[in-house]
Amino acid sequence: MATTITSSENNSRHLNNKNKSIKILVNIILYGILLIGSIIVLYPFFFMIMNSFKVGPEIMNAPLALPKSINFGGYTEVFNSLNIPRLFFNTIVIASSVTVLNVLFSSMVAYAIVKQDVPYKRLTRNIILASMMIPSVLLLIPTYTMMFNWNWINTYRVLIIPVSLSAYNIFLMIQFFTQIDDAYLEAARIDGANEFTIFTKVVLPMAKPALATIGILAFMGSWNDFLNPLLYLRSDTKFTLQIAIFKFRNAIPGVHIEQLWAAMVLVSLPVVIIYFFMQKNFIKAFTGVGLK
Amino acid sequence: MSKIKLTSKRKWGIIFVSPWIIYFLVFLAYPMSLAFKNSFLKINLIQPEKATFVGFENWIKVATDGLFWKSMFNILYNQSIFIGLAFIISLSLALILTKIKFGGSIFRTIYFIPMITSVVVGMLIFDYISSPTGPIQQIMLQNGWISEGVFWKTTKWLPMPIIAIFSSWKWFGIQMIIFIGGLAGIDKQVLEAAEIDGSSWINTLFAITIPLLKPQIVFVMTMNIINGFQMFTEVFINFDLLGGPYNSALTPVMYLYQKGFQNMQMGEASTIGILLAIVIFILTKVQDKILKVTE
Repeated sequence: MATTITSSENNSRHLNNKNKSIKILVNIILYGILLIGSIIVLYPFFFMIMNSFKVGPEIMNAPLALPKSINFGGYTEVFNSLNIPRLFFNTIVIASSVTVLNVLFSSMVAYAIVKQDVPYKRLTRNIILASMMIPSVLLLIPTYTMMFNWNWINTYRVLIIPVSLSAYNIFLMIQFFTQIDDAYLEAARIDGANEFTIFTKVVLPMAKPALATIGILAFMGSWNDFLNPLLYLRSDTKFTLQIAIFKFRNAIPGVHIEQLWAAMVLVSLPVVIIYFFMQKNFIKAFTGVGLK
Repeated sequence: MSKIKLTSKRKWGIIFVSPWIIYFLVFLAYPMSLAFKNSFLKINLIQPEKATFVGFENWIKVATDGLFWKSMFNILYNQSIFIGLAFIISLSLALILTKIKFGGSIFRTIYFIPMITSVVVGMLIFDYISSPTGPIQQIMLQNGWISEGVFWKTTKWLPMPIIAIFSSWKWFGIQMIIFIGGLAGIDKQVLEAAEIDGSSWINTLFAITIPLLKPQIVFVMTMNIINGFQMFTEVFINFDLLGGPYNSALTPVMYLYQKGFQNMQMGEASTIGILLAIVIFILTKVQDKILKVTE
């Protein structure tokens, strides 16, 4: 009797040990996969940064090696080849205008649809939802013709006004506003506030997380956009960073190619810095898409 | 009294909704009608006053244009690889990240970085990395996996799969996080019950987890189709307007760009845009139907 108990205890201990080692093994494999994934994701950025510190011939001849010596030439020279401050200025002006207008307009419209008295409310709402499915390629040529006729080619506003609002952003805000309790608004109304004050003093402060989402989406979309600047910008004093990089790539001789890599680091850096500060908002912004 | 209040409320409502009305009329409805109108015109951008009505000529031209269908084939080829690859990568990583106990947020942060990088920068880096003098091919050469450098951009079949690999690298992060959100919503008891019943994990995955993730899968697929079929920058950056010697990287939007802005044939370009929009619409509907049937 006693022996059977000890043997079964031994058995279960043995099993536990086996389970434990299987668990550890599984964990090693899982973390191994995650680590390999991280290396694949990060390597291109590592490659970019390494190249920005190399010299031209080294980039072409020793793609696997680390830089022989840290060379800042790319970073200093690229300021002579490109008007970097101007490019940043253009891009920031355009991207921040797009951001401000999108945040303002989409919250206004969504607020009206959810909380205000609007004629043909359901119809308007349905049209907004349906508009999300329109592929932008359908509008590419006609919008270009319009802008051409309006003489908007090679201006800032051509990259701002046509993207100052999007059905998708309104949809995100509608989802947010439906969660807000009417009682807050009623309280403000009883206090005698008019609709505009309620909107700016009560609604917008409550909507900050949602506004951050819209803001990030709009800013990133504008900062990283390539097709619209390609279509609409003509002179290099108006260029945005993305289009300048593309043109620069075709113009720079191979021996000075480190300048291109330095420029690419400079272009990516601001967004990465913002990302690390607002990580949670970023991840939410790209995924808070009505999947509840 | 209440009547006055109502009209004032309505007045504010109209003011607040007016940005959408203006945007919709000027930047959506009007250009859309213009697209249809242009598709029946022979119209040159520089001399729009000389536009002539040509009936279905543009439609027939595009429908019988070998290059247009080549571009359609290319994007289908590219997207079927991209959608499959990105799905497997993002779902596997989402499953792993919901299983592990520590460090999940660090990996999520890392995996999301390609998302915030621009296509221009990402594609330029990728071009160098994958070139015959780049690190990947150098390693393959040193190990004798390939006998000489592969100039993949000028080959017949390689551009689309290789761009699909780039796109998977760029976009898997968002899909992964959407799947993680879906996995978090699955009732743990259901999975535990399956385990007690002796269901293997692979069985549980296909019989329980994936069916329960359907809303997320539908969303990801719809977004992939709408965005992926409009691919432009990825190919424009690294190829000529014809998509290389075999047109193997020509996408419909690049073909539209070439027709509209190089050949100045706005009518034909508009027709390409409409046809592509129709294809995208049909594919999203078909995809919706298929996933509904499997319910």
